[in-house]
Amino acid sequence: MDTASPRLRMSVLGFVVLGCFVALFARLWYLQVMASDSLTIEAAANRSREVSVEAPRGRILDVKGRVVVDNRTSLVVTVNRRDLAELTKQGGRDEFVARMADTLTRFGVPMKVASVERRLQDQQYDQIQPVPVAVDVPEEMMVFLSEHAEDYPAVEVRRESVRTYPYGATGGNIVGYVGRISAESLKSAEPGVDVETGVTKTYQPNSNIGLAGVERTYEDDLRGTPGVEVVEIDANNRSVRTVSRQAPRPGSDIQLNVDIDVQSRAETVLGEKLGALRGTSQRDGVRRGAPAGSVVVLNPNDGGVVALATYPSYDPSEFVNGISQERYTQLSDIGGVSALVDRAISGQYSPGSTFKLVTADAALSNGITTANSYYNDTGVFEVGGQQFQNAGRVRNGSINLSTSLTISSDTFYYSLGARMDGTTMLQDTATKFGFDAITGIDLPGESSGYVLTPADKKALNEKNPDAYPYGEWFTGDNVQLAIGQNTVVVTPLQLASAYATLANGGTVYQPRVMWRILRSKGDPNDPAAVLRENAPVVKGTVDLPPAVRDPIVQGLSGVTSGKGTAAAAFTGFDQRAFAIVGKTGTAQVTFVRPDGSVGYKADTSLFASYGPGDAPQYSVTAVMEESGFGAEASGVVVRQVYELLAGQQLTDRRAPVAGAARD
Amino acid sequence: MLPSSVSRQASNRSRRDPTAPFKHLDPVIVACAVVLGVIGVVAVWSATRGPGPDYSNTFLLRQGAFVVVGVVAMAVFTVVDYHKLHDWAWVFYAFTTLLLVAVISPLGTRSRGAQAWFTIGPFQLQPTEFAKLSLIGVLAFLLSEFKGDIGVRRLLALLAVTGFPMALIMLQPDLGQVLTLTAITLAVLLVGGLPARYIVVLTLVGVVGVIGALNSPVLAEYQRDRLTVFVNPDASNPARYNIEQSQQAIASGEVTGQGLFEGPQTRLGYVPEQETDFIFTAVAEQFGFVGAATVLALYGILCYRIWRTAQIARDLFGTLVCIGVLAMFVFSIFQNVGMAMGIMPVTGIPLLLLSSGGSSTIVAFCALGLVLNVHMRRFR
Repeated sequence: MDTASPRLRMSVLGFVVLGCFVALFARLWYLQVMASDSLTIEAAANRSREVSVEAPRGRILDVKGRVVVDNRTSLVVTVNRRDLAELTKQGGRDEFVARMADTLTRFGVPMKVASVERRLQDQQYDQIQPVPVAVDVPEEMMVFLSEHAEDYPAVEVRRESVRTYPYGATGGNIVGYVGRISAESLKSAEPGVDVETGVTKTYQPNSNIGLAGVERTYEDDLRGTPGVEVVEIDANNRSVRTVSRQAPRPGSDIQLNVDIDVQSRAETVLGEKLGALRGTSQRDGVRRGAPAGSVVVLNPNDGGVVALATYPSYDPSEFVNGISQERYTQLSDIGGVSALVDRAISGQYSPGSTFKLVTADAALSNGITTANSYYNDTGVFEVGGQQFQNAGRVRNGSINLSTSLTISSDTFYYSLGARMDGTTMLQDTATKFGFDAITGIDLPGESSGYVLTPADKKALNEKNPDAYPYGEWFTGDNVQLAIGQNTVVVTPLQLASAYATLANGGTVYQPRVMWRILRSKGDPNDPAAVLRENAPVVKGTVDLPPAVRDPIVQGLSGVTSGKGTAAAAFTGFDQRAFAIVGKTGTAQVTFVRPDGSVGYKADTSLFASYGPGDAPQYSVTAVMEESGFGAEASGVVVRQVYELLAGQQLTDRRAPVAGAARD
Repeated sequence: MLPSSVSRQASNRSRRDPTAPFKHLDPVIVACAVVLGVIGVVAVWSATRGPGPDYSNTFLLRQGAFVVVGVVAMAVFTVVDYHKLHDWAWVFYAFTTLLLVAVISPLGTRSRGAQAWFTIGPFQLQPTEFAKLSLIGVLAFLLSEFKGDIGVRRLLALLAVTGFPMALIMLQPDLGQVLTLTAITLAVLLVGGLPARYIVVLTLVGVVGVIGALNSPVLAEYQRDRLTVFVNPDASNPARYNIEQSQQAIASGEVTGQGLFEGPQTRLGYVPEQETDFIFTAVAEQFGFVGAATVLALYGILCYRIWRTAQIARDLFGTLVCIGVLAMFVFSIFQNVGMAMGIMPVTGIPLLLLSSGGSSTIVAFCALGLVLNVHMRRFR
């Protein structure tokens, strides 16, 4: 065979060519006919993206249907990362960032180049989602940007629903605030389910989430159901068209038990009173710091929270566009106390004489004393070689239980405490009233307080002998407990709840901020708009037969008049129309100086009460730190809150500062 | 069937009548070339008009113009007797080689990573395409002169003739075109009578050379990735994206295709370089197996007719010209389509007649003009 023959060689070449074509046809057949299905699905998945569209949150209304938290539209300037990368490649990034900072500043949204850069590099946003650079820019800026689009590549202005607060900072601690979900929460948060559609409200990196207050507790209800847009995107990740769109659904509205007028009044009088007291000296010459305080108003008949004031507090609108770290740090230390803590539910204080309610109940219920037993108050009570005195060593002579409450005799209670030593009558009664446990209020961050028992003391000593050198329960401990000092701390909310229990005859209700959940934009007067009602929850009962309750109520009814400790605070308040049943409390606060000696701060001023006496509607409690006697600070504040509740003449900060009272 | 006397008469007349050879024109080649050119124009349009709604017609008009110019050029290359090319082969070779030198000088323009273009007004001329044609001419000339009598010195001379432009193209660099020249050279040498032992040696040198090149620093990382991705489908390889998208697009064409302008992968620009290196993908996604197989079949018929012309050519020069053109087309088709379907390395070369591009389209028509030329002058 002639291997050099062109014909033969051409045939060889022909076979090679034929082989090539056969291979191509075979592959084409494989791709388009045999493997087509799996590859096609892959291709389709590649091309479409689900984009989540955040829904407006539900509104928050007060008990009368007034909108306390609403939504408004904010213009958000965003930058598309893909386009930005393109710009970076072309070397125009620095100039672009500088121009953005400059333009934002010019339109009243001051931004430094560094902060624009920081936002652009926020790793929380993926390649497809535009990164928000500035929020709440003015409408003119949007117009400007669209007119000069070529100078601002990658920039887009988007409308976003953000929170607005028609009543300003009022109730900020109750409603709380929302913020961009953190990377950790994004992983851990369990999204709620839309009750009407059953759709899960999944979180996206740009989602907002309730971070405090009602916004946090009722996140699942308030959060709207995000819409889903399926968009087709091109190879450059730009969306080309919307394939399908499921509209977002706003979250449910929430109606609170809170009355915004009462809340406002409580906040105002609390703040003003603390301001007036700050820097003045109390009776023993100690300077009043008056840094903080709180007021709780409950409905004793169902546990509804009418008002919950705390001072200092914050304005939730500061959180709308993301709060700066500097401002956040500033808020967490205002004169040594944090504005971000709701001390009405988390502050823990010695209850002082307000605790005598528990001591009186324990003594009467357990037969330690009766309504008609008299005790000779000499101003001093001695036990185990230790002397316990009345405030100012006042001698009250022969008094019964009712009088002891009205004039707040300490020695009377020292003796009861001593007689109950060896039992846990005081602790048991306190627990029945709801102390030593959280109330279960529907707000985050509640404290439980504590009421020390002999067993607790022993356990503490065994666990940490340095801090708690004595494991033994002394009679002195029971004596202190009887007047609410040293061995007991309570939250203002617990105290208010205890007096509400006395008011309603013995039912301990769980305090409820939320009244009911309404359909979005639903009319509060339309029963059909109500999705769910937060029914009263009975946590427990205290047995208060007339033989027990009557002498206590009689004693507390006298507190705000005549010889009562808070008489001066209620001067001019018409008690025939609206009788106040209450108790003052003045708790000593010690601190350890750097040299190891013990010093005294100004006293914690407390006043716990309910009214009107015959048919209780409100239980009002105020607790004010480093403010002096119960009557002169908290008593006045409580009175000023009652002025509104009772529809009486409102007094302002020039209201009388209580005179003679010593408790 | 005409009586033989009439046939002879006609044949006699043909010697004198300059229009006579056109009676032997191969209409199949003309038809295939024009139909493929038109399909190319449509495919390029669909691949470049954008996702909408503001469609662009720039590429449609340009490619349409190139096809028209190409058909005219094909006519010119058909009319002028190919023996003139025999005489002018060296001139063409010298001229295109000079252009290859010029293009890597500052006169040339760099684009898509290669210095391979001259910018002339709105157009870009790629001398490499023309160099392919002149290399076919000069190799056919030399081998037809050697008449199979090839020793080591002649072989070295042949390799030098082909190696010089290849080296210049490697400097641009354009690996795909170097491989095209290699394919042309091998095919022409094979049919041109290179002794079998040299073919074995050249093949061995080639295999060792490719393996060596892949493991040496001559190739950039990306080039190596591209060349090996089809045998080493490692997900981290960036070159994988192209062929994955391309294969998904082809697959989604299924049997009857998504329809013109309806292929989402094409429309949304998922397949890179889809108007050139991946033009077959656009065809396959939009027209499905029916359309893509038709295109391949047209190429198959075209190649068969070129191969057939090589066999019936009047002389060895004509045969070798046809073989060179055949190699150029087959390599272009197998490499381009094979890459789009993931059975060939990622080395971008245009699919002749279909891909967008002036130089490649016009040169493809010119090459077919030469084949037509050989075909119609097959009688002595």
